[in-house]
Amino acid sequence: MGQVFQFAINGLMSGAIYALIALGIVAVYKATRVVNFAHGYVIMMGAYFYYTFAVLLPASDWFPDLTYAPDWLATAKAEAPMFSPAAAYLSWLENLPRIAFGLIAAIIAASLLARVIERFFMRPLLGQSQFAMIMITVGLISVLSGVKSMIWTGDAASVPYLAPNPAIRFEVFGSPVFIFGANLASMVIAIAIFGAIVLWLRRSAAGVAMRAASEDQSTAYSMGISVPQVFARAWVLAAATGAVAGAILAARDGISPSLGLFGFSVLAIVLMGGLDSFVGVFIAAMCVGVLEALVQWQLGGDWVEVTPYIAVLIVILIRPHGLMGSEEVERI
Amino acid sequence: MINGNLKATYAADERINNNAYKTAFVWGFAALAALFPFVANDYLILIACQYGIMVVAVVGVNVLTGYTGLISLGHGGFVAIGAYGVTIIHAGLTALSVPAGLQPFIAIPAAMALAAGIGLLVGLPSLRVKGVYLAVATLSASFIIIFLIELDALAPFTGGKNGLTTADPSFFGWVLDTQREVYALIAACAFATVLLVQNLFRTRVGRAFIAIRERDYSAEILGVSLLRYKLTSFAISAACCGLAGALFAYFYARVLPEQFELLLSLQLVAALVVGGMGRTMGPVFGALVIVLAPEFLKLTLGALMGSTVEAAQIRAPLQEIFFGALIIGFIMFEPLGIAQISDRVFRALNRWPFARG
Repeated sequence: MGQVFQFAINGLMSGAIYALIALGIVAVYKATRVVNFAHGYVIMMGAYFYYTFAVLLPASDWFPDLTYAPDWLATAKAEAPMFSPAAAYLSWLENLPRIAFGLIAAIIAASLLARVIERFFMRPLLGQSQFAMIMITVGLISVLSGVKSMIWTGDAASVPYLAPNPAIRFEVFGSPVFIFGANLASMVIAIAIFGAIVLWLRRSAAGVAMRAASEDQSTAYSMGISVPQVFARAWVLAAATGAVAGAILAARDGISPSLGLFGFSVLAIVLMGGLDSFVGVFIAAMCVGVLEALVQWQLGGDWVEVTPYIAVLIVILIRPHGLMGSEEVERI
Repeated sequence: MINGNLKATYAADERINNNAYKTAFVWGFAALAALFPFVANDYLILIACQYGIMVVAVVGVNVLTGYTGLISLGHGGFVAIGAYGVTIIHAGLTALSVPAGLQPFIAIPAAMALAAGIGLLVGLPSLRVKGVYLAVATLSASFIIIFLIELDALAPFTGGKNGLTTADPSFFGWVLDTQREVYALIAACAFATVLLVQNLFRTRVGRAFIAIRERDYSAEILGVSLLRYKLTSFAISAACCGLAGALFAYFYARVLPEQFELLLSLQLVAALVVGGMGRTMGPVFGALVIVLAPEFLKLTLGALMGSTVEAAQIRAPLQEIFFGALIIGFIMFEPLGIAQISDRVFRALNRWPFARG
């Protein structure tokens, strides 16, 4: 029973990150009716931006070191036993300026990238067929992955966690449960961002404009809503949340080009939940997270990579528009 | 009004090569392909074989995406099934002591049938979903296929991540053990595939595909069974890709799972978009661009930077960017592909000196 709990909580932790990534795909789809196949690669770029600003830049000679190292911290660090929670907190505190600078710079850089993509690749195709839109994002996959290899080397590297990473151990029903603090904090961050943005879309004027544009573009236009601005905002929102997700993933799994492939499993999750339903996508992300953890437990790590794909095929066959997606009405 | 294309009889209008350009192109290309192995060096043979394999596969994608209007991002998976299928069937036939000279006649159709069968299975979601849902479903299917090939539990059959070695095909004792000989097989298959698919779209089945592409519900109301024709389209398309896979396995004599991953699926779609969707010549032009682009890039980089390490390092990323830019550029500026450009050129030639373009 305790083991089930361990895997369930592992699953929820990765599910929350899936949900954060899926948020970007759903937001872009809701505003612009474009399904972004390249979202995984936007996240990969976000992760590499974080890596650049949090690790590469501070390591170079001409840039400030960006560590917080007063005397008391150094002595406390020397006194704290290895692998103790205190040591984890102290080393996080030491890296905090780097993490903050890296994250903020990564969000800005990813947002700029999104503006460029939106302005030069998506907007000229407004009103074109769905096929053209899908193909453009498919082309972007190739372009982004090439640009990444041009700028950064293919070596895997590690980046600092966003949150302190103490090991948390406790017992449930008599069996031990073990959690990394950073993963737990990432889950909290992801769910908080997800909730805040869904709330923002419901309540704020910008959010209402976005929903209006997704409902009916020309009516939204005639009501004085700047639809191009709405599109740009959706893309920036997707890229910014993607950068946070990318930073979390890069710290958890190490930074590597395979982050891009992650986007495809999230795309599967989005379709499972329903393209235009935040709630459905959240539920689907959590379910897939837990399912993956259970699969890892029962069948081994190999099967994890195809779990979302098998799940989406089954869900699509039963419910073609996902768990909570709205059915498209076609008139002949 | 199209002029310079006068037909005096219905028979003339129904011919496949219904104008002089097509006739000249087809016979010219056939003559070129037949003479090619006697004059070309090994490098050109390699390129030509890659091209032929690509044409067969892209024709397959064209049947599904170009003519039936169903998007697939997972056709690399069918190529993998063809390649692995033919290799495993060869091994099986040898174990059953079937004479080597007869094996390809069983192995190639069997591999195509296997790919078609799996195509049917993958096509099932197409009955309920389309557009982006189908794109993700096919993508998922191709990930699952590659995963199963790499799976340790199936490694005794598929060789896992180490891949398999394909036997040299032997036609009644003529063993195709050089690339030049396999070229003959590839050229014949490529011609046959293009011709058969062109003919398919003069039949009832082909017209049903096109009706589904234009508007599937309207087609259904007119009596076209969506169940039957969508699945047929998937099967034919997968069979073409299976054939491409079989040729691939014969040509390289070694199949590895990573050769069939996402990149291949994207290349197939890119070739189709660049060449022109739903056109016979689309795959022929598109595959040429996709196969020659890396070589062209290699030559340009070599001329600019010499054969330095840096040149080799940036070649792969540049190639990726170039593929992506090709897709994006054609979708934005010439969505109907090179086939449309060539149409325009020939129309202008026909009407010269009157209307141009």
